[in-house]
Amino acid sequence: MSATTIYLPESAPGPPPASLAASPASLAGLRIAVLDNGKPNAAVVMARAAETLAARVGAEVSLVIKKGPGGRSANAAIPCAEDVFARVVEEADLVLTGAADCGSCTAYSVQDSIELEKAGRPAVVVTTTKFRPIAETLSGHFGLPGVRLLVLPHPLGGTPVPTLHAWADAATDRLIALFTKGG
Amino acid sequence: MTSRYEPETLELGDASPEALYELFEKRHWGDGLPLVPPTRERVDAMLELAAGEPDEVLATLLPRAGVVTRRVVAINAVLAGCPPAVFPVVLSAVRALARPEVNLRGVNATTHPVAPLVIVHGEIAARAGFHAGVGAFGPGNRANATTGRAVRLLLLHVAGARPGFGDAATHGQPAKYSYCVAENLAECPWEGYAASRGVDAPSAVTVFCGEGPHNIHDAEAAGDPALILDKIASAMTSLGANNAPISQAEFFVALGPEHAQSLAVRGLTRPDVASYLYEHARMPARVFRRHFEELAWAEWMKIADDDDLLPMTGHPDNVRVFVAGGPGKHSLLMPSWGMTRSATVPVEG
Repeated sequence: MSATTIYLPESAPGPPPASLAASPASLAGLRIAVLDNGKPNAAVVMARAAETLAARVGAEVSLVIKKGPGGRSANAAIPCAEDVFARVVEEADLVLTGAADCGSCTAYSVQDSIELEKAGRPAVVVTTTKFRPIAETLSGHFGLPGVRLLVLPHPLGGTPVPTLHAWADAATDRLIALFTKGG
Repeated sequence: MTSRYEPETLELGDASPEALYELFEKRHWGDGLPLVPPTRERVDAMLELAAGEPDEVLATLLPRAGVVTRRVVAINAVLAGCPPAVFPVVLSAVRALARPEVNLRGVNATTHPVAPLVIVHGEIAARAGFHAGVGAFGPGNRANATTGRAVRLLLLHVAGARPGFGDAATHGQPAKYSYCVAENLAECPWEGYAASRGVDAPSAVTVFCGEGPHNIHDAEAAGDPALILDKIASAMTSLGANNAPISQAEFFVALGPEHAQSLAVRGLTRPDVASYLYEHARMPARVFRRHFEELAWAEWMKIADDDDLLPMTGHPDNVRVFVAGGPGKHSLLMPSWGMTRSATVPVEG
């Protein structure tokens, strides 16, 4: 039987490759921003994680802001507003962004983090166990397979605040590693 | 400078349907259904309907940012079982999906069960065998079924919308297998949908990323066609649809020909229908505010008092009406994913 030639159905991915921003050796004295996409409990868990981290390493939480225009609102299914992005870059050295606990919000949290890394700001995407595969796949699709991911338990929405705070407090060592070593 | 991309090929020792099926399953390709082998001969036959260079990069599809060429589209059209005559429709639908207002990155990645509906307008519908009459949404018509399927295969293979990885849809939905219909222009009492959107071309394609269809049955027993619209408005007024918190979101309404005729003989135009639905699909602002922490609303909606009745979409033009289907007193409503806009484009090879 002679061989048959078929075309493969996939085409080459086309995004330009990106790389992580330089990771600082120490977090002491640095400014941390929380970029909130408005998902339920995103700000609760990310702000707590940032505050606990800052207290441990001698940093400060300089900004907690929603990602929509003027920081007045947030829409998780579109990119960070330009004015908010500029403010985060201006007022912070490190960024927590998310929550990446759904599909489109994971896509745009990862995208926002890549843009922040390109702007020289190490950015950790706060995701959950159930959305880690999506976050990892999309970071590769967007040209930066090694996006810094903090993986928390799932779900964030509907989880009591004391539990969220406990998850955030338990994340400090991982955040230090993510910001200083990239992973 | 025009960039080019030439797809890779593979030598198959065994080109039986079973072997291809197994190969695709192993490589996490395909939609789970049997496929037609994309041989050079079949792909070349498809490309005879192409108007330009087969390997020219025309667009990229997000989130994977895979490149779209005419040949890449043809390969997936062959896999889907498309007759070559539908190739320009598949290609045009993909071009439309790549437009920024569609927000394909979000459409593909979301946990919402959104699927792109492809609506075929104009003379290519009859020429390529698309079906606009009884049972137009399927099953049973090759052009409709395979065109919708080809679009899905391109989203899987090129856009990377693989469930659990590039597509996080909590449940998925049947419309993600295939979702294509032709406009029933012959029984439309108004101008065609594409012309109403300012697309002046012999043939056009609309893509709309939304839910599967919800049926509206009004038998017109009461003799008042306005009751048809009240039932559609009732179906639109749902807190479960993403239209509720996102005011830019469109509704697509596929009026059955009988409903459309009943409305038209009363003197209602397409904009009249849209305006009526905009006026009647409403809820108090306090209800929206109670249910949604974040409301992606038009600025004017944010200043409403709690008791004000706010519309389910921010403007009458967001209610998009076309005619499809056959005899019977039914119409269909399709809410939007939300952060997306439909696109209507001329059919180009």
